[in-house]
Amino acid sequence: MGERERFHPLFERWARGVRRRLLARRALTGLTVGLALAVLPALLAWETHHGALRPLCALGAILGAAGGLLVARRKRWSDEDVALWLDDRLQTDEAITTAVEMRHRADRDDDARAVVVSTAAAALGRADAKRARPAVLRPLHALAPLALAALIVVMRSPLPARPVGPSSPGETRIQIGQVEGLKRVAELGQASARDGAQKQRLETIARDAGKLRVDLEKGLEKRAALDRIATLRDAIAAERLTLGEGERRAGLEAAVSTLEQIEATRGAARALGDHDLEKMDREMERVANAREKHDRDSARKALEDAAAAAKARGAPDVGQALEEEKKALEEREKRAETLRDLEKAMEDSDLARPEQKNEADGLDRKESDEAARALADALGQALEKLTPEERKKLAEKLKQQARRGGIQSDPQDLRDLAEDLSTPEGQKKLEDELKDLAQKDDESPEARGQRDLDDAERSADGAEGDIEGDGNGSGNAGGDGPGGEGHHHDTGTGAHDGKTEAVPGAGTLKSRAHAPTNQAPGMPGTTRGWTPGRSGGTANVQGTGALGAAGPGEVNGVDHSDVPEEYRAQVRQYFQP
Amino acid sequence: MATTTHDFEVRLHQARDAVALLRQAIGQVIIGQGEVVDQVMWGLAAGGHVLLEGAPGLGKTLLVRTLAQCLDLRFSRIQFTPDLMPSDVVGTQVLVMDPAQRAAGSMFQVQRGPIFGQIVLADEINRATPKTQSALLEAMAEHAVTLAGQRLALEEPFFVLATENPIEMEGTYPLPEAQLDRFLLKIVVPNPTEDELCEVLARTTGRAPEAAPRVIDREGVMALRAMCRDVAAAQPVLRYAARLVRASDPSTGEAPETVKRALRYGAGVRGAQALVLAAKAVALCEGRAHVSFEDVKRVARPALRHRLIRSFEGEAEGTTTDTVIDALLGTVGTRPPSVEAERPRGAP
Repeated sequence: MGERERFHPLFERWARGVRRRLLARRALTGLTVGLALAVLPALLAWETHHGALRPLCALGAILGAAGGLLVARRKRWSDEDVALWLDDRLQTDEAITTAVEMRHRADRDDDARAVVVSTAAAALGRADAKRARPAVLRPLHALAPLALAALIVVMRSPLPARPVGPSSPGETRIQIGQVEGLKRVAELGQASARDGAQKQRLETIARDAGKLRVDLEKGLEKRAALDRIATLRDAIAAERLTLGEGERRAGLEAAVSTLEQIEATRGAARALGDHDLEKMDREMERVANAREKHDRDSARKALEDAAAAAKARGAPDVGQALEEEKKALEEREKRAETLRDLEKAMEDSDLARPEQKNEADGLDRKESDEAARALADALGQALEKLTPEERKKLAEKLKQQARRGGIQSDPQDLRDLAEDLSTPEGQKKLEDELKDLAQKDDESPEARGQRDLDDAERSADGAEGDIEGDGNGSGNAGGDGPGGEGHHHDTGTGAHDGKTEAVPGAGTLKSRAHAPTNQAPGMPGTTRGWTPGRSGGTANVQGTGALGAAGPGEVNGVDHSDVPEEYRAQVRQYFQP
Repeated sequence: MATTTHDFEVRLHQARDAVALLRQAIGQVIIGQGEVVDQVMWGLAAGGHVLLEGAPGLGKTLLVRTLAQCLDLRFSRIQFTPDLMPSDVVGTQVLVMDPAQRAAGSMFQVQRGPIFGQIVLADEINRATPKTQSALLEAMAEHAVTLAGQRLALEEPFFVLATENPIEMEGTYPLPEAQLDRFLLKIVVPNPTEDELCEVLARTTGRAPEAAPRVIDREGVMALRAMCRDVAAAQPVLRYAARLVRASDPSTGEAPETVKRALRYGAGVRGAQALVLAAKAVALCEGRAHVSFEDVKRVARPALRHRLIRSFEGEAEGTTTDTVIDALLGTVGTRPPSVEAERPRGAP
């Protein structure tokens, strides 16, 4: 095949290569521009909370590439353009261009044409393909991966918090990122529960608190938020009062009556009647750490009897709580006795240190677990410093006490203690036990559960305060304003005499009353204790617990009860703040 | 066909070699001035006439005389002076008394002027009156003269090389622009460099040099001219030449700012024709059968410089037509914008 015949296919092959690369470059440019432009609507969709539209923005890249292909198609190089490009890159003095033009001019079939075509074919045949290729990549294309990364980030980013929208007249919307009080309530699911049912109820409260936190982050109408907090608080308060309530009320009353008959447990009885199990535990802690053994014995007996009475009257939960309290009493009692005997032995052996003596006096005076733990800590430190001779001396003294009597703890326990002290390993073991005692928490499970509930209720109160404070600054006008300073303590020194202003809406309950209960022993069947009130309610006729759990017919029970008309005003006045 | 192609290629090579030989032969007499010699070659190959402009003593006349010697063509020289008459150029009728035919009396006989040479040197053409200049220029355009009512064709190849002195303008008659247009190229003869001048001194102050050899005969020149017309020029090259010429017209939108300021009139159709024809001659002299953009650029100055008419502002600023042509070459793109955009930065 001569050079002239060779030129046509050669040039076509070169032209295809050049056009293909131009096409690729333009498609890539379109893709880059499409990606870069797609970031903007994606950002807009993210900003305006139209998260579902973000994936559609990726179509911009496809559209860009398609646009690039379209442009490439429209700007497709003619044979002449390709030939000019090749002449320029291969430095063939426009031989290819001339040959291409002559190829289309069949009329000109002269000698010069043949020579030119032949020259061009030869030039194409020996040309370096790399030299004549248009560049596919341009600096602009470096934007493509950056834009793609930006698009992915925008598409995967969580949507921003919705701004509080404009409020309706009379409506106050609030938006709080983190309400610490609710966090504590939301952790109630992990609090110690009496049984599975209580566990379930606590988890429900925790779940509701979690939802409220999320809603508050998004923005919520203030009254709705306060209502939900009040509901949570009522649920917590009702949970505090579930022990011995309803059908088990008689069992609770029986247990209270039994405990009231003993002086040592009278305070605990009142606390139980008030459903204040923390206080009851503190009363029993006092009894358990007291020096008087008689009181402890009678208290233990009273707890046994009360538990039996509660179970007999159909309140097994109360019975179980009292049995756990008795168990806690015995552990505390044993700890206090052991500590006192050990302290006395050290004192008799002239090994006592002043701080140890102070802690022993503190235990006698305070009669608390904290004082017992402090004494255990002091004794442990004192034991660490004993020499082997002093240790032997102390062991001898303990054995003497065990033989002689007049000790509070079991003599066998003292003998074991003395045995432990006779060896360094035993002494180390004893020190460790004392350290454990110094850290041990003897609180009963029921008291612990109630403490968790109390903490949660206080936290709910705090959360309510947070919301009230926030609401001061986010009225109708602002929506998401900076929030007011809330309530503040008045440190003023103004005159305090004068008269109390009339309370608007008198006749309705305005505050939650923590009314003290009657100090006298309760009559069988009477209602003891207190219950949290709600704005607008007074009491319920049956006294079965929180007002939040009362039926519609039970609210404002005073007005609907069978109280004689002549006493009705007096009864209502009693409930007024 | 293959045989024909081969023949054309052979002739192309022969033409290139002949031009190279001619250049070498001239170089034995003319020191330096390589570009001037090349441009004279282009004019010869293209079949156009050449105007040489330069200071006295730069070898213009010697160049033309040497060229004539090398080409084995009939050489004639006309020294233009203010009293030179057209008849002194084209010839006249003279009364001849034939003693043998006394009875018949005397008769008029045509006496051909120096224009009837094949290589005509019109020395200091701007010193003759316009009337005489016109007689020459008409002959240049027509390749024929009318004498005593007879139209006489000039023998081919007819190649006029005129010279003019740019510094002695006193008592001269500058050629009108329309007549300047008849010259294919206007070649500016530069002063020699120091080395060239030394060589000139060495050669001209010693023994007389040998005469230049004859390297091409009349047929060779005619073949060269015929082949020049056969050289192919692609459309983009023709368009480039057209764009250059159009951009030289200050009244068009394509004209660059320099053109608009410095020119009153641009080149016309003859300018474009000269551009392409001279470019073809360049290609031929280099043994190519096609014209390149570079060829057009190379001939732009000699082909256009005498066709651009400067404005008052251009003359006042001292802007030369060469400056304007350089501006045109720098402004007008050779390739379409889409192809230009693909070229790497800094590419020539």
